Amino acid sequence: MDVPKPLLRGAVWLGHLLILGGASAGATLALRVLIGGTGTLYLTLPRLFPFAQMSLSVDGLSAFFLLVVTLVTAAAALYGPSYLGAHAKAPLVQTFALGVFVACMAGVCCAGDGLTFLLAWEGMTLASYVLVVSDTRSDENTRAGLLYLVMAHAGTAALLVVFLTLAERGHGFDFDALRTAAHSLQGPTRTALFMLALVGFGAKAGVVPLHVWLPKAHPAAPSHASALMSGVMLKVALYGIFRFGFDILAPTDGPVPASWGWTVLVLGTVSAVIGVLLALQQHDLKRLLAFHSVENVGIILIGAGLAMLLTRGRGAEPLATLALAASLLHTLNHAAFKGLLFLGAGSVISRTGVRNMEELGGLARRMPWTTWLFLLGAVAISALPPLNGFVSEWMTFQALLLGVGKLGGASGLLAGVAASMLALTGGLAAACFAKAFGVTFLGRPRSIHAEQATESPAPMIAGMLLLGGACVALGLVPGYAMRLLDGPTQELLGGLGPSAVVSARGPLVLSGTAATSGLAATSISVTAVATLLALLAAVAWALRGWPRRAPRRLAPTWTCGMLPSSRFDYTATAFAKPLRLIFAAVYRPRRAIAKETGPSPYVIRRLGYTGEVVDLAETVLYTRLKRWVTATAQGIRAYSTGRIHGYIAFVLVTLVVALLFFART
Amino acid sequence: MEDAAAIGNVVAQAGLLVLLGPLVTGFIQKLKARLQCRQGASLWQPYRDLAKLLRKGTVQSDSASPFFRAIPVLVLAATVTTTVMLPVLWAPSGPALLPLGDAILLLALLALARFLCAIGALDAGGAFGGMGASREMTVGLLVEPAMMMAVFSVAVAGGTTDLVHLAARRATLPALSWQAPDLLALFAMLVLALAETGRIPVDNPDTHLELTMLHEGMLLEHSGPGLACIVLATHTKQIVILTLVAALFFPLGLAEGSAPVEIALAGAAFLAKLFALATFLGLVESSYAKLRFFRLPQFLGLGLVCAFLALALRIL
Repeated sequence: MDVPKPLLRGAVWLGHLLILGGASAGATLALRVLIGGTGTLYLTLPRLFPFAQMSLSVDGLSAFFLLVVTLVTAAAALYGPSYLGAHAKAPLVQTFALGVFVACMAGVCCAGDGLTFLLAWEGMTLASYVLVVSDTRSDENTRAGLLYLVMAHAGTAALLVVFLTLAERGHGFDFDALRTAAHSLQGPTRTALFMLALVGFGAKAGVVPLHVWLPKAHPAAPSHASALMSGVMLKVALYGIFRFGFDILAPTDGPVPASWGWTVLVLGTVSAVIGVLLALQQHDLKRLLAFHSVENVGIILIGAGLAMLLTRGRGAEPLATLALAASLLHTLNHAAFKGLLFLGAGSVISRTGVRNMEELGGLARRMPWTTWLFLLGAVAISALPPLNGFVSEWMTFQALLLGVGKLGGASGLLAGVAASMLALTGGLAAACFAKAFGVTFLGRPRSIHAEQATESPAPMIAGMLLLGGACVALGLVPGYAMRLLDGPTQELLGGLGPSAVVSARGPLVLSGTAATSGLAATSISVTAVATLLALLAAVAWALRGWPRRAPRRLAPTWTCGMLPSSRFDYTATAFAKPLRLIFAAVYRPRRAIAKETGPSPYVIRRLGYTGEVVDLAETVLYTRLKRWVTATAQGIRAYSTGRIHGYIAFVLVTLVVALLFFART
Repeated sequence: MEDAAAIGNVVAQAGLLVLLGPLVTGFIQKLKARLQCRQGASLWQPYRDLAKLLRKGTVQSDSASPFFRAIPVLVLAATVTTTVMLPVLWAPSGPALLPLGDAILLLALLALARFLCAIGALDAGGAFGGMGASREMTVGLLVEPAMMMAVFSVAVAGGTTDLVHLAARRATLPALSWQAPDLLALFAMLVLALAETGRIPVDNPDTHLELTMLHEGMLLEHSGPGLACIVLATHTKQIVILTLVAALFFPLGLAEGSAPVEIALAGAAFLAKLFALATFLGLVESSYAKLRFFRLPQFLGLGLVCAFLALALRIL
């Protein structure tokens, strides 16, 4: 493309401003539905197909996820032009793909019928595929894109079965028809359909063991697109799980089957722990963040699974409300901090061109805004107070603990295990981000790229500030966010909304359960604690200089008398070494040390070190699957002669068998 | 009026914990010295050390970021904030007027302090700091979930994670409602307390040998008033952990109102519990050798398994 440079830049800016405009409009719409009390908005689309009416319908759940989409989209749209300007090879194509991607995600959340849902779903997959493969044309990216496409379409196939089964019984594609169809389903069929939907959406959401594409594909896209893929696209898949698990497929006259809750809770727990364990051993900044998305999807599913176990039909159950509210709030929180972290990583990558954190370091002085905003995101994602990640994890903990008492028996034990695994996840995440932040931004620069880095331009900082502000606001005054959750939880569970359960004692206090339920409610006030923290820090700061203005001087770091250099800095590999040994059963670490000796074996000229850990799902499950598929394909090839009449015979035989099988009635 | 009294109580308890923190360390040092047939330093030595550090100048690493100066202050603030969540002398049974925090928030704030400390260690850019940070975070992530589980096993019985409510409820039950899970949870907590307070066999607070340091390794680049802040935070964390154990398992003698006799009794009970636990730490420290770092997962695994069994027994 030979477009003049200023024109190109103008077009990219225009595209992103259009996306920003769309995001603001979407956010306004979502807020109107969530707190404006307009009820469900409904819009019929032009009749595209003769057999189905397409429509958009925005109820509370749709509006909430639309809000999640628009929040990160707005930040990405602010951030995008400068990032693409510095970095991209095909900025116009990427801007266009980004627009389609975002519109399709909003379309999935707002779809009022199965057809619109599936079309938008497919558009979302294809547009994000373009973003994955367009950034750098390396073999690795192409392979990541292919894996992504295969996994996404395997998921879509599962979804197609669910939709077609329901549409056939309900004689229509709109969600009301699907609900009516689901109403008459038998128990096992219902569960089978839910499991299929879970596989379909789980493949997109990166639930272990369907996560293998995610850490490969997400980092390959431009960083603001990665932020959208990790922060939002996974949420759109979770929207599907919420929509099907609690709404369309849920039985109207009884509790959700226990097997659903068990499956979701177990999948969530496994995803959370495996995701963060694998994240700890990554040295590619963006891949590390992508693995953390697997972890956070797990945490969201823990809340969702618990809500499924606790809900008893359409009755009011404050604990189920608490669990679902925790899950939804974490969805919003994760979008905010993961978006922020990806944008921060993108800022580093666009200024240094390096993704391997071992070659970074010392950026705190060179890129202060990026550094401190990344730290904010790191504290939030590690579930440390007083930011938003802590709030939703606290609510999840409360729901799990109170759920333990309520459920008892095996389900109670499962909830207890989930609670302890969640605690482990928090500790692992903190260790991982101490490493990621410390090695990337602190210490001395370990490469020329890091040494010459400068701060990113203002629009990129503005995008990060928007999400950083969301992290702080959702952390310090989470009570106000509860009102946003009222709509979706009441639609899915009935009964009281979270603003009556969680923030019953005013917006500044979070309570474990409603005071009306008779249980002694555990209450905390993150606002008060944050104020106290700030106050104590101010007092300590003042006291430190109080006895007398002591002199302060600078000196090199102590390195046992040797000249300090960046080679003394602890690397990410070294930082994660103890965990590699402790969790060796999961990691199966491999390392090879190549020695190049001189004239005698005692004189070592060079030492080469390579180490890697494996993703067990990849080696155990997928390699076997691949082998099996290849073997089958080889077997089939024997009958694939290339003669056209042979193929016609196959088609004919298949047709006859199908007719015999299905036309018996 | 009642508001002011409640806030006054919280401030008094927090102040008491911060002020007593160094004394507990002094007591343990003295006990260790006597067990080694030494005279040992005075009980008040930790206070003198703090005063000395506060008067000293600061030497800061030239490769550290501007944030490095704020880290000791933030670590201290996060640690001291946890003191308002514990029942020390008072445990009113009614709902708190301004609920501040519960056990989860307390452990999360301690995790925040640890996280900031690790960041500070990586900031200076020496190998010792990085090694200390890596080890401390590793031990921390093994200890934290186990401690959560031990707390949960008590919290599930009480139906809340609010430590004041838990203590107040337990104090009214006959024989403190001690059951088998409590024994397991207490054992787990004692194992974990050794790790959280950085004592032998997990860490050795008296050494600065690079191969054995955990917590101290992270502090090498701090000096003067900044180091004083972190050392005070370490003392405070120790007393907070001990008070947490006491509040979970021995909530005896906590005052309801503000009668002088009641408060005097509560104070005596608190000191007795505190120094009993401190004696335990000192005795363990004097009778065991420090474990190799990679043996620690087995030792901490003991705590983990006990805490898990306690939780499982409570649920089933």
